[in-house]
Amino acid sequence: MAAKLTPRKMTHGALLTLGYALLGCFVLFPIYWIFTMSLKEFGDIIAYPPRFSFVPTFENYREILFGNEADQAGGVMPDLLRFLRNSVIISSGAVLLSVILGLPAAYALARGEAKRANRARFTILSFRFAPELAIILPLYAFYTRTGLYDSYVGMILVHQLITLPLMILILMSFIRDIPIEIEEAARIDGAGPLTILLQIIVPIAKPGLASAMIIAFIFSWNNLIFGLVLAGGETRPITMGILQAMTFDQIKWGLMAAAAMVSAVPGMIASLLFQRQITRGLTLGAVK
Amino acid sequence: MASAASGKGALAGGRVVYIAMLAPALCLLFLTIVPFLDGVYTSLTNEKLYAGVTRFVGFANYLKLAQNPTFWIALGNTLLYAGLATLIQIPLGLAVALLLDVPSKVQWFFRSTIALPLLIPPVVAGLMWKTMMQPQSGVLNWLLAQVGLPPFAWLSDPSTALVSIVLIDTWLFMPLAAIILLAGLQSISGEVLEAARIDGANAWQTIRHIKLQALKPYIVLVAMFRIPDALKSLEIIYATTRGGPLNATRTLHVMAYEEAYRWSSLGRAMAIVFILWVLSYIFSAILLTLWRKEETRFHGR
Repeated sequence: MAAKLTPRKMTHGALLTLGYALLGCFVLFPIYWIFTMSLKEFGDIIAYPPRFSFVPTFENYREILFGNEADQAGGVMPDLLRFLRNSVIISSGAVLLSVILGLPAAYALARGEAKRANRARFTILSFRFAPELAIILPLYAFYTRTGLYDSYVGMILVHQLITLPLMILILMSFIRDIPIEIEEAARIDGAGPLTILLQIIVPIAKPGLASAMIIAFIFSWNNLIFGLVLAGGETRPITMGILQAMTFDQIKWGLMAAAAMVSAVPGMIASLLFQRQITRGLTLGAVK
Repeated sequence: MASAASGKGALAGGRVVYIAMLAPALCLLFLTIVPFLDGVYTSLTNEKLYAGVTRFVGFANYLKLAQNPTFWIALGNTLLYAGLATLIQIPLGLAVALLLDVPSKVQWFFRSTIALPLLIPPVVAGLMWKTMMQPQSGVLNWLLAQVGLPPFAWLSDPSTALVSIVLIDTWLFMPLAAIILLAGLQSISGEVLEAARIDGANAWQTIRHIKLQALKPYIVLVAMFRIPDALKSLEIIYATTRGGPLNATRTLHVMAYEEAYRWSSLGRAMAIVFILWVLSYIFSAILLTLWRKEETRFHGR
Protein backbone atom coordinates (compact mmCIF):
# COMPACT_ATOMS: atom_id res chain seq x y z
CA MET A 1 0.00 0.00 0.00
CA ALA A 2 2.81 2.38 0.89
CA ALA A 3 4.51 1.73 -2.44
CA LYS A 4 1.23 2.41 -4.25
CA LEU A 5 0.85 5.77 -2.56
CA THR A 6 4.23 7.16 -3.57
CA PRO A 7 3.41 8.40 -7.10
CA ARG A 8 0.17 9.80 -5.83
CA LYS A 9 2.03 11.60 -3.06
CA MET A 10 4.38 13.02 -5.66
CA THR A 11 1.56 14.47 -7.78
CA HIS A 12 0.03 15.73 -4.55
CA GLY A 13 3.28 17.51 -3.68
CA ALA A 14 3.65 18.92 -7.18
CA LEU A 15 0.10 20.26 -7.11
CA LEU A 16 0.71 21.89 -3.75
CA THR A 17 3.90 23.54 -5.00
CA LEU A 18 2.13 24.78 -8.11
CA GLY A 19 -0.69 26.18 -6.00
CA TYR A 20 1.68 27.98 -3.66
CA ALA A 21 3.65 29.38 -6.60
CA LEU A 22 0.55 30.76 -8.33
CA LEU A 23 -0.82 32.18 -5.08
CA GLY A 24 2.51 33.75 -4.16
CA CYS A 25 2.91 35.38 -7.57
CA PHE A 26 -0.63 36.74 -7.63
CA VAL A 27 -0.58 38.15 -4.10
CA LEU A 28 3.01 39.34 -3.85
CA PHE A 29 4.12 40.33 -7.34
CA PRO A 30 2.20 43.66 -7.46
CA ILE A 31 3.64 44.66 -4.09
CA TYR A 32 7.16 43.62 -5.15
CA TRP A 33 6.80 45.51 -8.43
CA ILE A 34 5.66 48.81 -6.91
CA PHE A 35 8.27 48.52 -4.16
CA THR A 36 11.08 48.16 -6.71
CA MET A 37 9.53 50.93 -8.82
CA SER A 38 9.75 53.27 -5.83
CA LEU A 39 13.51 52.60 -5.74
CA LYS A 40 14.07 53.18 -9.45
CA GLU A 41 15.27 56.21 -11.38
CA PHE A 42 12.99 57.55 -14.11
CA GLY A 43 15.07 55.86 -16.81
CA ASP A 44 14.76 52.47 -15.12
CA ILE A 45 11.01 52.91 -14.67
CA ILE A 46 10.14 53.66 -18.29
CA ALA A 47 12.60 51.11 -19.72
CA TYR A 48 11.08 48.40 -21.86
CA PRO A 49 11.54 45.46 -21.48
CA PRO A 50 11.02 46.07 -17.73
CA ARG A 51 14.21 46.06 -15.66
CA PHE A 52 14.44 43.59 -12.82
CA SER A 53 17.99 44.57 -11.87
CA PHE A 54 18.90 48.21 -11.36
CA VAL A 55 20.82 50.48 -9.03
CA PRO A 56 18.43 51.40 -6.21
CA THR A 57 17.95 55.05 -5.28
CA PHE A 58 16.06 56.69 -2.44
CA GLU A 59 15.53 59.84 -4.50
CA ASN A 60 11.75 59.27 -4.83
CA TYR A 61 11.32 58.91 -1.08
CA ARG A 62 13.51 61.93 -0.42
CA GLU A 63 11.42 64.05 -2.78
CA ILE A 64 7.99 63.05 -1.45
CA LEU A 65 9.04 63.28 2.20
CA PHE A 66 11.28 66.33 2.17
CA GLY A 67 10.16 68.18 -0.97
CA ASN A 68 12.21 69.60 -3.81
CA GLU A 69 14.97 72.19 -3.42
CA ALA A 70 12.62 75.19 -3.78
CA ASP A 71 10.38 73.94 -0.97
CA GLN A 72 13.31 73.18 1.27
CA ALA A 73 14.77 76.66 0.72
CA GLY A 74 11.40 78.27 1.45
CA GLY A 75 10.88 76.14 4.56
CA VAL A 76 7.58 74.85 3.15
CA MET A 77 6.31 71.62 4.64
CA PRO A 78 6.19 69.06 1.83
CA ASP A 79 2.71 67.88 0.86
CA LEU A 80 3.09 64.23 1.76
CA LEU A 81 4.17 65.01 5.31
CA ARG A 82 1.10 67.20 5.73
CA PHE A 83 -1.13 64.44 4.37
CA LEU A 84 0.56 61.93 6.66
CA ARG A 85 0.04 64.17 9.68
CA ASN A 86 -3.63 64.63 8.76
CA SER A 87 -4.17 60.90 8.38
CA VAL A 88 -2.50 60.17 11.71
CA ILE A 89 -4.68 62.75 13.49
CA ILE A 90 -7.93 61.68 11.80
CA SER A 91 -7.45 57.92 12.09
CA SER A 92 -6.15 57.88 15.68
CA GLY A 93 -8.83 60.37 16.71
CA ALA A 94 -11.52 58.26 15.07
CA VAL A 95 -10.26 55.07 16.74
CA LEU A 96 -10.08 56.68 20.18
CA LEU A 97 -13.59 58.10 19.91
CA SER A 98 -14.83 54.70 18.76
CA VAL A 99 -13.25 52.98 21.75
CA ILE A 100 -14.94 55.43 24.13
CA LEU A 101 -18.33 55.09 22.43
CA GLY A 102 -18.07 51.45 21.39
CA LEU A 103 -16.53 49.63 24.36
CA PRO A 104 -19.47 50.05 26.78
CA ALA A 105 -21.92 49.26 23.97
CA ALA A 106 -20.03 46.12 22.98
CA TYR A 107 -19.93 44.97 26.60
CA ALA A 108 -23.61 45.65 27.13
CA LEU A 109 -24.55 43.78 23.96
CA ALA A 110 -22.26 40.83 24.70
CA ARG A 111 -23.67 40.44 28.19
CA GLY A 112 -27.24 41.33 27.34
CA GLU A 113 -30.03 39.20 25.97
CA ALA A 114 -28.77 37.03 23.10
CA LYS A 115 -31.71 37.81 20.85
CA ARG A 116 -31.31 41.55 21.24
CA ALA A 117 -27.56 41.24 20.70
CA ASN A 118 -28.14 39.43 17.42
CA ARG A 119 -30.62 42.04 16.25
CA ALA A 120 -28.14 44.79 17.14
CA ARG A 121 -25.41 42.92 15.29
CA PHE A 122 -27.47 42.90 12.08
CA THR A 123 -28.38 46.56 12.45
CA ILE A 124 -24.75 47.50 12.95
CA LEU A 125 -23.71 45.32 10.01
CA SER A 126 -26.27 47.07 7.81
CA PHE A 127 -24.36 50.34 8.13
CA ARG A 128 -21.89 48.73 5.75
CA PHE A 129 -24.51 48.41 3.03
CA ALA A 130 -25.12 52.10 2.40
CA PRO A 131 -23.21 53.62 -0.53
CA GLU A 132 -20.87 56.22 1.00
CA LEU A 133 -22.05 59.01 -1.30
CA ALA A 134 -25.65 58.60 -0.14
CA ILE A 135 -24.47 59.76 3.27
CA ILE A 136 -21.66 62.16 2.61
CA LEU A 137 -23.19 64.18 -0.22
CA PRO A 138 -25.99 65.40 2.12
CA LEU A 139 -23.44 65.70 4.96
CA TYR A 140 -21.39 68.04 2.77
CA ALA A 141 -24.14 70.68 2.87
CA PHE A 142 -24.53 70.24 6.62
CA TYR A 143 -20.76 70.41 7.15
CA THR A 144 -20.35 73.64 5.18
CA ARG A 145 -23.21 75.25 7.13
CA THR A 146 -21.82 74.27 10.53
CA GLY A 147 -18.11 74.80 9.91
CA LEU A 148 -17.33 71.10 10.22
CA TYR A 149 -16.18 71.03 6.58
CA ASP A 150 -12.42 70.57 6.30
CA SER A 151 -11.99 70.28 10.09
CA TYR A 152 -10.40 67.45 12.05
CA VAL A 153 -13.52 67.19 14.23
CA GLY A 154 -15.71 66.79 11.16
CA MET A 155 -13.43 64.17 9.65
CA ILE A 156 -13.14 62.21 12.92
CA LEU A 157 -16.92 62.30 13.23
CA VAL A 158 -17.62 60.99 9.73
CA HIS A 159 -14.96 58.29 10.14
CA GLN A 160 -17.15 56.85 12.93
CA LEU A 161 -19.16 55.34 10.07
CA ILE A 162 -16.15 53.07 9.47
CA THR A 163 -14.59 52.66 12.89
CA LEU A 164 -17.57 52.48 15.26
CA PRO A 165 -19.38 49.46 13.71
CA LEU A 166 -16.05 47.63 13.39
CA MET A 167 -15.20 48.38 17.01
CA ILE A 168 -18.56 47.22 18.41
CA LEU A 169 -18.74 44.04 16.31
CA ILE A 170 -15.17 42.90 16.94
CA LEU A 171 -15.19 43.72 20.67
CA MET A 172 -18.57 42.05 21.10
CA SER A 173 -17.27 38.78 19.72
CA PHE A 174 -14.21 38.87 21.99
CA ILE A 175 -16.14 39.80 25.16
CA ARG A 176 -18.69 37.03 24.50
CA ASP A 177 -15.88 34.49 24.77
CA ILE A 178 -14.94 35.62 28.29
CA PRO A 179 -16.73 33.36 30.78
CA ILE A 180 -19.28 35.32 32.76
CA GLU A 181 -18.29 33.57 36.02
CA ILE A 182 -15.19 35.78 36.15
CA GLU A 183 -17.44 38.78 36.82
CA GLU A 184 -19.58 37.12 39.48
CA ALA A 185 -17.23 37.65 42.41
CA ALA A 186 -16.86 41.34 41.65
CA ARG A 187 -20.61 41.71 41.26
CA ILE A 188 -21.23 40.12 44.63
CA ASP A 189 -18.78 42.63 46.10
CA GLY A 190 -21.05 45.32 44.75
CA ALA A 191 -19.03 46.51 41.75
CA GLY A 192 -21.03 48.38 39.09
CA PRO A 193 -21.02 47.53 35.38
CA LEU A 194 -18.49 50.25 34.55
CA THR A 195 -16.05 49.07 37.23
CA ILE A 196 -16.38 45.48 36.04
CA LEU A 197 -15.85 46.56 32.44
CA LEU A 198 -12.73 48.62 33.15
CA GLN A 199 -11.11 46.49 35.85
CA ILE A 200 -12.01 42.95 34.79
CA ILE A 201 -13.11 42.81 31.16
CA VAL A 202 -10.65 45.26 29.58
CA PRO A 203 -7.50 43.56 30.97
CA ILE A 204 -8.72 40.16 29.71
CA ALA A 205 -9.98 41.47 26.37
CA LYS A 206 -6.74 43.33 25.60
CA PRO A 207 -5.92 41.24 22.50
CA GLY A 208 -9.44 41.83 21.21
CA LEU A 209 -9.17 45.54 21.89
CA ALA A 210 -5.82 45.64 20.10
CA SER A 211 -7.28 43.77 17.15
CA ALA A 212 -10.31 46.06 16.91
CA MET A 213 -8.16 49.18 17.17
CA ILE A 214 -5.69 48.03 14.53
CA ILE A 215 -8.40 47.03 12.05
CA ALA A 216 -10.41 50.19 12.63
CA PHE A 217 -7.27 52.31 12.24
CA ILE A 218 -6.30 50.66 8.96
CA PHE A 219 -9.77 50.89 7.42
CA SER A 220 -10.00 54.53 8.42
CA TRP A 221 -6.47 55.14 7.06
CA ASN A 222 -7.34 53.45 3.74
CA ASN A 223 -10.44 55.52 3.10
CA LEU A 224 -10.36 57.98 0.21
CA ILE A 225 -13.94 59.08 -0.45
CA PHE A 226 -14.59 60.90 2.85
CA GLY A 227 -11.53 63.04 2.29
CA LEU A 228 -12.44 63.60 -1.34
CA VAL A 229 -15.82 65.09 -0.42
CA LEU A 230 -15.47 66.51 3.10
CA ALA A 231 -11.83 67.65 3.35
CA GLY A 232 -10.50 70.85 1.85
CA GLY A 233 -6.89 71.96 1.82
CA GLU A 234 -6.28 71.56 5.56
CA THR A 235 -7.31 68.01 6.43
CA ARG A 236 -6.68 65.96 3.27
CA PRO A 237 -5.61 62.41 4.14
CA ILE A 238 -2.67 60.41 2.77
CA THR A 239 -4.84 58.54 0.26
CA MET A 240 -5.47 61.89 -1.44
CA GLY A 241 -1.77 62.70 -1.28
CA ILE A 242 -0.89 59.82 -3.52
CA LEU A 243 -3.35 61.07 -6.16
CA GLN A 244 -1.25 64.23 -6.40
CA ALA A 245 1.35 62.34 -8.38
CA MET A 246 -1.31 62.07 -11.09
CA THR A 247 -2.60 65.63 -11.26
CA PHE A 248 0.29 66.81 -13.38
CA ASP A 249 0.47 66.44 -17.15
CA GLN A 250 2.08 63.08 -16.76
CA ILE A 251 2.01 60.55 -13.97
CA LYS A 252 5.18 60.74 -11.92
CA TRP A 253 5.55 57.01 -11.56
CA GLY A 254 8.46 56.96 -9.13
CA LEU A 255 6.83 59.45 -6.77
CA MET A 256 3.50 57.64 -7.03
CA ALA A 257 5.15 54.33 -6.16
CA ALA A 258 7.01 55.82 -3.20
CA ALA A 259 3.83 57.51 -1.92
CA ALA A 260 1.94 54.25 -2.37
CA MET A 261 4.52 52.39 -0.30
CA VAL A 262 4.43 55.03 2.45
CA SER A 263 0.62 54.98 2.58
CA ALA A 264 0.52 51.19 2.73
CA VAL A 265 3.11 50.96 5.52
CA PRO A 266 0.73 50.84 8.54
CA GLY A 267 -1.27 48.01 7.01
CA MET A 268 1.76 45.98 6.01
CA ILE A 269 3.49 46.31 9.38
CA ALA A 270 0.27 45.42 11.19
CA SER A 271 -0.34 42.38 8.99
CA LEU A 272 3.09 40.98 9.78
CA LEU A 273 3.03 41.71 13.52
CA PHE A 274 -0.57 40.96 14.40
CA GLN A 275 -1.53 38.34 11.83
CA ARG A 276 -3.80 36.29 14.08
CA GLN A 277 -5.73 39.17 15.65
CA ILE A 278 -6.15 40.83 12.24
CA THR A 279 -7.54 37.69 10.68
CA ARG A 280 -10.25 37.57 13.29
CA GLY A 281 -10.88 41.28 13.20
CA LEU A 282 -11.19 41.40 9.42
CA THR A 283 -14.19 39.12 9.59
CA LEU A 284 -15.78 41.46 12.17
CA GLY A 285 -15.61 38.69 14.72
CA ALA A 286 -17.98 36.60 12.61
CA VAL A 287 -15.25 33.98 12.38
CA LYS A 288 -13.24 32.78 15.36
CA MET B 1 -19.95 29.44 22.73
CA ALA B 2 -19.90 31.66 25.78
CA SER B 3 -22.67 31.30 28.28
CA ALA B 4 -24.04 34.72 27.42
CA ALA B 5 -24.63 33.70 23.82
CA SER B 6 -27.43 31.37 24.74
CA GLY B 7 -30.29 32.37 26.97
CA LYS B 8 -30.06 35.33 29.25
CA GLY B 9 -26.86 37.08 30.25
CA ALA B 10 -25.94 39.09 33.30
CA LEU B 11 -27.28 42.37 31.95
CA ALA B 12 -30.50 40.97 30.50
CA GLY B 13 -33.34 43.44 30.83
CA GLY B 14 -31.18 46.02 32.57
CA ARG B 15 -31.23 49.71 31.80
CA VAL B 16 -27.45 49.50 31.50
CA VAL B 17 -27.73 48.16 27.96
CA TYR B 18 -29.79 51.12 26.80
CA ILE B 19 -27.52 53.64 28.48
CA ALA B 20 -24.44 52.06 26.91
CA MET B 21 -26.05 51.95 23.48
CA LEU B 22 -27.25 55.55 23.61
CA ALA B 23 -24.05 57.36 22.58
CA PRO B 24 -23.09 55.10 19.65
CA ALA B 25 -26.70 54.97 18.48
CA LEU B 26 -26.99 58.76 18.49
CA CYS B 27 -23.67 59.06 16.70
CA LEU B 28 -24.61 56.61 13.94
CA LEU B 29 -28.14 57.98 13.63
CA PHE B 30 -26.80 61.49 13.24
CA LEU B 31 -24.46 60.22 10.53
CA THR B 32 -27.09 58.25 8.63
CA ILE B 33 -30.71 59.19 9.32
CA VAL B 34 -30.19 62.95 9.07
CA PRO B 35 -28.30 62.73 5.77
CA PHE B 36 -30.76 60.08 4.59
CA LEU B 37 -33.81 62.30 5.05
CA ASP B 38 -31.96 65.31 3.68
CA GLY B 39 -30.84 63.19 0.72
CA VAL B 40 -34.32 61.86 -0.01
CA TYR B 41 -35.58 65.43 -0.20
CA THR B 42 -32.59 66.51 -2.34
CA SER B 43 -33.30 63.72 -4.82
CA LEU B 44 -36.72 65.31 -5.36
CA THR B 45 -35.23 68.72 -6.18
CA ASN B 46 -33.04 70.16 -8.90
CA GLU B 47 -30.40 71.24 -6.37
CA LYS B 48 -27.03 72.23 -7.80
CA LEU B 49 -23.84 71.83 -5.84
CA TYR B 50 -22.56 75.39 -5.77
CA ALA B 51 -25.26 77.84 -6.73
CA GLY B 52 -28.69 78.47 -8.15
CA VAL B 53 -32.24 78.32 -6.88
CA THR B 54 -33.40 74.94 -5.63
CA ARG B 55 -36.84 73.91 -6.81
CA PHE B 56 -38.95 70.91 -5.85
CA VAL B 57 -39.30 68.75 -8.95
CA GLY B 58 -41.02 65.62 -7.62
CA PHE B 59 -39.88 62.43 -9.24
CA ALA B 60 -38.42 64.20 -12.28
CA ASN B 61 -34.86 63.07 -11.46
CA TYR B 62 -35.93 59.44 -11.28
CA LEU B 63 -38.00 59.67 -14.47
CA LYS B 64 -35.13 61.31 -16.33
CA LEU B 65 -32.80 58.57 -15.17
CA ALA B 66 -35.14 55.90 -16.51
CA GLN B 67 -34.94 57.58 -19.93
CA ASN B 68 -31.16 57.95 -19.78
CA PRO B 69 -29.40 55.07 -21.59
CA THR B 70 -26.22 55.71 -19.56
CA PHE B 71 -28.15 54.92 -16.38
CA TRP B 72 -29.12 51.50 -17.71
CA ILE B 73 -25.53 50.86 -18.82
CA ALA B 74 -24.31 51.85 -15.35
CA LEU B 75 -26.91 49.62 -13.69
CA GLY B 76 -25.79 46.72 -15.90
CA ASN B 77 -22.12 47.40 -15.13
CA THR B 78 -22.86 47.53 -11.40
CA LEU B 79 -24.62 44.17 -11.44
CA LEU B 80 -21.98 42.64 -13.73
CA TYR B 81 -19.15 43.89 -11.48
CA ALA B 82 -20.76 42.52 -8.32
CA GLY B 83 -21.73 39.26 -10.02
CA LEU B 84 -18.30 38.65 -11.54
CA ALA B 85 -16.48 39.62 -8.35
CA THR B 86 -18.55 37.23 -6.24
CA LEU B 87 -18.51 34.36 -8.74
CA ILE B 88 -14.73 34.61 -9.14
CA GLN B 89 -13.75 35.34 -5.55
CA ILE B 90 -15.77 32.63 -3.80
CA PRO B 91 -14.44 29.65 -5.82
CA LEU B 92 -10.93 31.14 -5.90
CA GLY B 93 -11.04 31.86 -2.18
CA LEU B 94 -12.26 28.31 -1.61
CA ALA B 95 -9.35 26.89 -3.62
CA VAL B 96 -6.87 29.02 -1.67
CA ALA B 97 -8.48 28.03 1.65
CA LEU B 98 -8.25 24.33 0.75
CA LEU B 99 -4.60 24.86 -0.21
CA LEU B 100 -3.77 26.66 3.04
CA ASP B 101 -5.59 23.98 5.04
CA VAL B 102 -3.07 21.33 3.95
CA PRO B 103 -0.31 21.05 6.56
CA SER B 104 3.07 21.99 5.05
CA LYS B 105 6.29 23.82 5.83
CA VAL B 106 5.41 27.02 3.98
CA GLN B 107 1.86 27.22 5.32
CA TRP B 108 2.67 29.80 8.01
CA PHE B 109 4.33 32.08 5.47
CA PHE B 110 1.30 32.18 3.20
CA ARG B 111 -1.15 32.50 6.05
CA SER B 112 0.57 35.68 7.18
CA THR B 113 1.11 37.18 3.74
CA ILE B 114 -2.34 36.50 2.32
CA ALA B 115 -3.94 39.29 4.36
CA LEU B 116 -1.49 41.82 2.92
CA PRO B 117 -3.64 43.11 0.00
CA LEU B 118 -6.61 43.66 2.35
CA LEU B 119 -4.58 46.20 4.27
CA ILE B 120 -3.60 48.30 1.26
CA PRO B 121 -5.79 51.31 0.44
CA PRO B 122 -8.03 50.47 -2.57
CA VAL B 123 -7.01 53.68 -4.30
CA VAL B 124 -3.35 52.65 -3.95
CA ALA B 125 -4.11 49.17 -5.27
CA GLY B 126 -5.89 50.76 -8.23
CA LEU B 127 -2.86 52.91 -9.07
CA MET B 128 -0.46 49.97 -8.61
CA TRP B 129 -2.38 47.79 -11.04
CA LYS B 130 -2.95 50.65 -13.48
CA THR B 131 0.81 51.03 -13.67
CA MET B 132 1.31 47.35 -14.35
CA MET B 133 -1.57 47.25 -16.86
CA GLN B 134 -0.16 49.90 -19.23
CA PRO B 135 -0.70 48.29 -22.67
CA GLN B 136 2.66 49.32 -24.19
CA SER B 137 5.06 49.60 -21.29
CA GLY B 138 3.37 47.65 -18.50
CA VAL B 139 4.96 44.66 -16.87
CA LEU B 140 1.87 42.46 -17.21
CA ASN B 141 1.92 42.46 -21.02
CA TRP B 142 5.66 41.83 -20.91
CA LEU B 143 5.02 38.80 -18.67
CA LEU B 144 2.33 37.56 -21.09
CA ALA B 145 4.80 37.88 -23.95
CA GLN B 146 7.35 35.82 -22.00
CA VAL B 147 4.98 32.86 -21.90
CA GLY B 148 4.02 33.35 -25.55
CA LEU B 149 0.63 35.02 -25.07
CA PRO B 150 -0.58 38.05 -27.09
CA PRO B 151 -0.81 41.41 -25.29
CA PHE B 152 -4.05 42.22 -23.47
CA ALA B 153 -5.72 45.65 -23.69
CA TRP B 154 -6.55 45.74 -19.94
CA LEU B 155 -8.10 49.08 -18.89
CA SER B 156 -7.72 50.77 -22.28
CA ASP B 157 -10.37 48.84 -24.20
CA PRO B 158 -14.13 48.91 -23.47
CA SER B 159 -14.39 45.15 -23.86
CA THR B 160 -11.69 44.34 -21.28
CA ALA B 161 -11.83 47.27 -18.86
CA LEU B 162 -14.51 45.98 -16.48
CA VAL B 163 -12.88 42.55 -16.27
CA SER B 164 -9.57 44.24 -15.46
CA ILE B 165 -11.23 46.23 -12.67
CA VAL B 166 -12.73 43.01 -11.30
CA LEU B 167 -9.22 41.51 -11.37
CA ILE B 168 -7.95 44.36 -9.18
CA ASP B 169 -10.95 43.89 -6.89
CA THR B 170 -10.14 40.17 -6.73
CA TRP B 171 -6.54 40.86 -5.75
CA LEU B 172 -7.76 43.10 -2.94
CA PHE B 173 -10.62 40.98 -1.59
CA MET B 174 -10.11 37.32 -2.55
CA PRO B 175 -7.92 37.04 0.60
CA LEU B 176 -10.95 37.95 2.73
CA ALA B 177 -12.90 35.07 1.16
CA ALA B 178 -9.93 32.75 1.71
CA ILE B 179 -9.51 33.78 5.37
CA ILE B 180 -13.20 33.29 6.19
CA LEU B 181 -13.40 29.95 4.37
CA LEU B 182 -10.15 28.75 5.95
CA ALA B 183 -11.61 29.48 9.38
CA GLY B 184 -14.63 27.46 8.32
CA LEU B 185 -12.47 24.52 7.23
CA GLN B 186 -10.64 24.56 10.54
CA SER B 187 -13.90 24.46 12.46
CA ILE B 188 -14.65 21.01 10.99
CA SER B 189 -13.84 18.47 13.67
CA GLY B 190 -11.03 16.02 13.04
CA GLU B 191 -13.26 13.13 14.03
CA VAL B 192 -15.66 13.70 11.15
CA LEU B 193 -12.80 13.77 8.66
CA GLU B 194 -11.25 10.67 10.25
CA ALA B 195 -14.57 8.81 10.03
CA ALA B 196 -14.86 9.73 6.34
CA ARG B 197 -11.34 8.42 5.71
CA ILE B 198 -12.09 5.12 7.43
CA ASP B 199 -15.25 4.78 5.31
CA GLY B 200 -12.96 5.01 2.28
CA ALA B 201 -13.89 8.49 1.03
CA ASN B 202 -11.26 9.96 -1.30
CA ALA B 203 -10.07 13.58 -1.14
CA TRP B 204 -12.63 14.81 -3.67
CA GLN B 205 -15.52 13.08 -1.91
CA THR B 206 -14.42 14.51 1.42
CA ILE B 207 -14.34 18.02 -0.04
CA ARG B 208 -17.71 17.65 -1.75
CA HIS B 209 -19.75 15.88 0.89
CA ILE B 210 -18.20 17.09 4.14
CA LYS B 211 -16.17 20.25 3.71
CA LEU B 212 -18.48 22.06 1.28
CA GLN B 213 -21.53 21.22 3.40
CA ALA B 214 -19.88 22.57 6.53
CA LEU B 215 -18.70 25.67 4.66
CA LYS B 216 -22.18 26.74 3.55
CA PRO B 217 -22.74 29.38 6.27
CA TYR B 218 -19.22 30.70 5.69
CA ILE B 219 -19.85 31.00 1.95
CA VAL B 220 -23.00 33.02 2.68
CA LEU B 221 -20.92 35.17 5.04
CA VAL B 222 -18.38 35.87 2.28
CA ALA B 223 -21.20 36.83 -0.09
CA MET B 224 -22.61 39.08 2.62
CA PHE B 225 -19.31 40.91 2.89
CA ARG B 226 -18.57 41.01 -0.82
CA ILE B 227 -21.83 41.69 -2.68
CA PRO B 228 -22.78 44.99 -0.96
CA ASP B 229 -19.17 46.18 -1.11
CA ALA B 230 -18.84 45.28 -4.80
CA LEU B 231 -22.12 47.01 -5.65
CA LYS B 232 -20.83 50.27 -4.18
CA SER B 233 -17.19 49.94 -5.24
CA LEU B 234 -15.87 53.37 -6.13
CA GLU B 235 -12.26 53.94 -5.14
CA ILE B 236 -10.63 51.39 -7.47
CA ILE B 237 -12.48 52.85 -10.45
CA TYR B 238 -11.72 56.39 -9.29
CA ALA B 239 -8.01 55.57 -9.30
CA THR B 240 -8.03 53.82 -12.68
CA THR B 241 -10.63 54.57 -15.35
CA ARG B 242 -13.17 56.94 -13.75
CA GLY B 243 -15.94 55.23 -15.69
CA GLY B 244 -14.31 55.03 -19.13
CA PRO B 245 -13.48 53.98 -21.75
CA LEU B 246 -16.89 54.58 -23.36
CA ASN B 247 -18.82 54.02 -20.11
CA ALA B 248 -17.42 50.49 -19.87
CA THR B 249 -16.63 50.85 -16.16
CA ARG B 250 -19.29 53.43 -15.25
CA THR B 251 -21.09 51.89 -12.30
CA LEU B 252 -23.96 53.60 -10.45
CA HIS B 253 -21.69 54.86 -7.68
CA VAL B 254 -19.20 56.29 -10.19
CA MET B 255 -22.05 57.84 -12.19
CA ALA B 256 -23.39 59.48 -9.01
CA TYR B 257 -19.95 60.90 -8.25
CA GLU B 258 -19.68 62.33 -11.76
CA GLU B 259 -23.18 63.83 -11.59
CA ALA B 260 -22.31 65.54 -8.33
CA TYR B 261 -18.79 66.77 -9.06
CA ARG B 262 -18.59 67.05 -12.83
CA TRP B 263 -22.10 68.29 -13.53
CA SER B 264 -22.70 69.54 -9.97
CA SER B 265 -26.20 68.10 -10.16
CA LEU B 266 -26.82 67.06 -6.58
CA GLY B 267 -30.47 66.13 -7.12
CA ARG B 268 -29.67 63.60 -9.85
CA ALA B 269 -26.66 62.24 -7.93
CA MET B 270 -28.84 61.56 -4.90
CA ALA B 271 -31.48 59.82 -7.02
CA ILE B 272 -28.77 57.47 -8.36
CA VAL B 273 -27.29 56.62 -4.97
CA PHE B 274 -30.74 55.89 -3.54
CA ILE B 275 -31.45 53.43 -6.32
CA LEU B 276 -28.06 51.86 -5.54
CA TRP B 277 -28.88 51.80 -1.83
CA VAL B 278 -32.20 50.02 -2.47
CA LEU B 279 -30.42 47.51 -4.72
CA SER B 280 -27.77 46.88 -2.08
CA TYR B 281 -30.42 46.60 0.63
CA ILE B 282 -32.41 43.96 -1.28
CA PHE B 283 -29.35 41.76 -1.83
CA SER B 284 -28.21 42.22 1.77
CA ALA B 285 -31.64 41.37 3.18
CA ILE B 286 -31.73 38.13 1.17
CA LEU B 287 -28.22 37.22 2.32
CA LEU B 288 -28.95 38.10 5.94
CA THR B 289 -31.97 35.79 5.94
CA LEU B 290 -29.90 33.03 4.35
CA TRP B 291 -27.12 33.54 6.89
CA ARG B 292 -29.45 33.44 9.89
CA LYS B 293 -30.95 30.22 8.56
CA GLU B 294 -27.54 28.62 8.07
CA GLU B 295 -26.33 29.80 11.46
CA THR B 296 -29.37 28.39 13.26
CA ARG B 297 -28.96 25.12 11.41
CA PHE B 298 -25.34 24.73 12.42
CA HIS B 299 -25.23 26.24 15.87
CA GLY B 300 -28.79 25.46 16.94
CA ARG B 301 -29.35 29.08 17.96
